[in-house]
Amino acid sequence: MDRRQAVSLVLVGVGSCLLVGSAVSVARGAIARDAARTRWAELEAQRSARGARALVGQAEWAIALGSPVARLLIPKLDLDEVVVEGVGDAALRAGPGHMTGSAVPGDRGNSVLSAHRDRHFRSLGELGVGDTLVTESDRGTVVWRVARVRVVTADAPVLHGSDSPMLTLTTCWPIRYFGPAPDRLIVEARPVVGGSAAGE
Amino acid sequence: MADSEWLMAVVNQARVLREGPAFPGGLVSIRRFSAAAALLVAVGVTEARAQITTVIGPAKRAPATGADSVRREQVAQDSIARVTLTDMKQWVDSAAQALALRPDTGTAPAEAPSTVTAAQIPPRPDSATVSRRMAVAPPEFREGGRAPNTATVIPTLGVLGAVLLVIGVVVGRRRRVPVPSKSRS
Repeated sequence: MDRRQAVSLVLVGVGSCLLVGSAVSVARGAIARDAARTRWAELEAQRSARGARALVGQAEWAIALGSPVARLLIPKLDLDEVVVEGVGDAALRAGPGHMTGSAVPGDRGNSVLSAHRDRHFRSLGELGVGDTLVTESDRGTVVWRVARVRVVTADAPVLHGSDSPMLTLTTCWPIRYFGPAPDRLIVEARPVVGGSAAGE
Repeated sequence: MADSEWLMAVVNQARVLREGPAFPGGLVSIRRFSAAAALLVAVGVTEARAQITTVIGPAKRAPATGADSVRREQVAQDSIARVTLTDMKQWVDSAAQALALRPDTGTAPAEAPSTVTAAQIPPRPDSATVSRRMAVAPPEFREGGRAPNTATVIPTLGVLGAVLLVIGVVVGRRRRVPVPSKSRS
């Protein structure tokens, strides 16, 4: 084996490993996504989504990471995903993640949902003000209307509480970009009340 | 074949081997040893049979009530109940009642509380004793917080892998251009 063949073998081997690793990650995401959808279907069938929470005094315990908490539908993007608890790597592999500590969609407060820009929210940039979203959770079905779309830097303080129901979708920006994301895309929506978004 | 018949056959074979070895030397001693071992097994099985018991099935589950089912679901969804702890016997013992309703235990305490109050859950141990999973907990919502980092290296790794693969194949297939020999004229 000459030097050229050795280099070729090394390149092919490393490249194959990287490709297989990427494929495995995507496959695991698909499996986790299916599992989340199945679990959500079970919860809907049993109407026990409310039972996924335990009350300790007046404070609610956190939902287990990775458990489905809601369903997000964006007709314009043809998106229908089950939202799981947490915004860690494992949770975001399965679907959009609900930031722990934020309100459940439909509750009073700011509900923050995040997802990977190269997976579930890869088309989030196409959303504009006035577009509608729908969330389903144990708090009921809520129709939201996009009130604001903005791009901020990664370290910008964009998450704030709210006295009224509010939905915030976040992902990394730019969407088509390799490497660490310098910015964040923030989509804020308010529930539709009587044909107009509340809080406008 | 009955045990006694088989036993007699083994004994007869051992007797034949002892009285008239067809192959003098080590082979006979090996056969004698095998026959003795077979004899011991044949006899021993009847004695050991009483010591061999069948598989003991799991205890029957107590019939779950509606409240138990809801509670089990709650505990199953509770991340606190899934935390892996080490060397925290005291904490585990004190939390045993709350954890007894985990679905995988299949047991229900006689007096299961309908709800778990904060007083029943002991304080969680120091961060040094909790699992590594908790140490890398995802960001949580707080006032003025940042949007989470949702960028992954998967696309980068995939593209890099494809590029390396193509380059490797091209380098491996490139043929050497024969150097024209200088002809002496």
